[in-house]
Amino acid sequence: MSQRQGNTSEESTLSVLISYLGQGRTIEAKTPRARRAFLTLPPESFRDALAFLVNEEGFRHLSTVTAVDVNDHMEVIYHLSSGGVSLSLRIPVPKDKLVVPSIVDLVPGAVLYEREVHELFGIVFEGHPDLRPLLLPDCWPEGLYPMRKNLSLVQIRGVLADARATAKLGR
Amino acid sequence: MPEQQPSLDDSFIIPIGPQHPALKEFEYFELRVDGEEIIDVSVRLGYNHRGIEKAIESRTYTQNLYLIERICGICSHAHTTCYCQAIEELLGVTIPDRARYIRTIVAELERIHSHLLWLGIAAHEIGFDTLFMYIWADREIVMDLLELISGNRVNYAMNTIGGVTRDMSPELLDNIREGIAKLESRARFYKDLCVEEGSVMQRVVGVGVLQPEDALHLCAVGPTLRACGIANDLRKDDPYAAYDAVSFNVITYDGCDVASRMFVRIDELIESVRVIDQCLHCMPPGPHKVKVVRKVPSGEVVSRVEAPRGELIHYARSNGTDQPERYKVRAPTLANMPALRKMLVGGYIADVPIVIAGIDPCFGCLDRMSLVDVKTGRNWIWSSDQLRRHSLTWRQQA
Repeated sequence: MSQRQGNTSEESTLSVLISYLGQGRTIEAKTPRARRAFLTLPPESFRDALAFLVNEEGFRHLSTVTAVDVNDHMEVIYHLSSGGVSLSLRIPVPKDKLVVPSIVDLVPGAVLYEREVHELFGIVFEGHPDLRPLLLPDCWPEGLYPMRKNLSLVQIRGVLADARATAKLGR
Repeated sequence: MPEQQPSLDDSFIIPIGPQHPALKEFEYFELRVDGEEIIDVSVRLGYNHRGIEKAIESRTYTQNLYLIERICGICSHAHTTCYCQAIEELLGVTIPDRARYIRTIVAELERIHSHLLWLGIAAHEIGFDTLFMYIWADREIVMDLLELISGNRVNYAMNTIGGVTRDMSPELLDNIREGIAKLESRARFYKDLCVEEGSVMQRVVGVGVLQPEDALHLCAVGPTLRACGIANDLRKDDPYAAYDAVSFNVITYDGCDVASRMFVRIDELIESVRVIDQCLHCMPPGPHKVKVVRKVPSGEVVSRVEAPRGELIHYARSNGTDQPERYKVRAPTLANMPALRKMLVGGYIADVPIVIAGIDPCFGCLDRMSLVDVKTGRNWIWSSDQLRRHSLTWRQQA
């Protein structure tokens, strides 16, 4: 019952994708358990891989986009799924150039997820139709990204306290 | 309806939201309308953004259990199930079978309570308050069961890393059996009632249409997706807890409208009863939790659960300490937001309450609504009640 018809197994999807992309265009691939796969790609091959997964391999559902602030760089992770298989595509992004191409043209459902990551981490999604603030209060200062590791809870509370003091934010 | 090409000059902006005193989530919608017709919708989230992901990074795994329970007041068990599964996978811990079954029973009771809550709200939004009161009276049956099991009506605190916090006694299992039998007969009654009652069907059939192709493109989840005829349910596709040991049907309807979303949920009530019944029959003996260590080895994990509103996904990254490095939560309502826009555009203001309620988000944002005439700058405020009344009178005239 757990294995339904039509589900591609995670290993075969990964090997198909890796051979599609060709030699040297993947950084790391792993399948820690059934129905889970993680693949690390350089930024230049990721749109190719994503289009292939969405159009050819049936990974049409994007669950969400996660960003992680690692010490010297950031990671953007796209959680795709097809049936029960969840495949996470990870791309490392250098901190001095936090720009990745938007995938909204390939997966329209990515529109709010990219906006959220942009607002909280300051990663720019090139080609996104609308990167206006979505979640943070109107008084939140531009260029300050709360989910980055260098911004502490104390600093965030300070920003909000200042906004309250100037009556830009309610109690 | 006047035949008019929508132009920006003739349109009104209708802000909806974001505040409501009683409900669980806040959203702010801006509707651009031409007469009664909606021509565009934009959404601004975050009125109640609490920064939980940041908070999680500075708390221990045990503390986070309590924080994550409080992400949602309706599907708190779905969130903790997702969290505990993730951390258990990082720890390499297998939980006892009895815990898997107890998790499943509570998850399905939670689904029943959430779907009944939705059904009542939907009845209210279409002006059928008698039905709303009947349904919410019946919802007390499941609320009582949850209270009997956990001592709480919401935030059950049943899950813990390594199992569940409370066992279930044989008397309790009997009580649950009795309760779900009542719930099943009520669900069947409501299904017949909705099919036969013209005043329900008139307000939901063909309203808030979402084409299956759009639903897939916009990555919709849960009953919203299943009402487009797409069988997608993580309990079946990516089984967790005890779902691989029980049989149930994935409910789909292909009307793509609010009516289909309603019938998907009513039928799911009956399927949930079936799942609980099977769990009660073959509840394995043994312990209900195992002890786990506080420090979690480095790793990463994607954990998914079929919450009442659809796919819930958590992503965890650990760093070997007792606090997570990163924890990401994506609840199903966010996934359904782009699809909601599609459902509203082209519809009428009068249908806004039931279409927004149709994806089962926070309908509370309708509490306060101001209409702005873009030509004169005149604006007036409508309460949700006035909006609902407008919707009823307008529908009667139409």
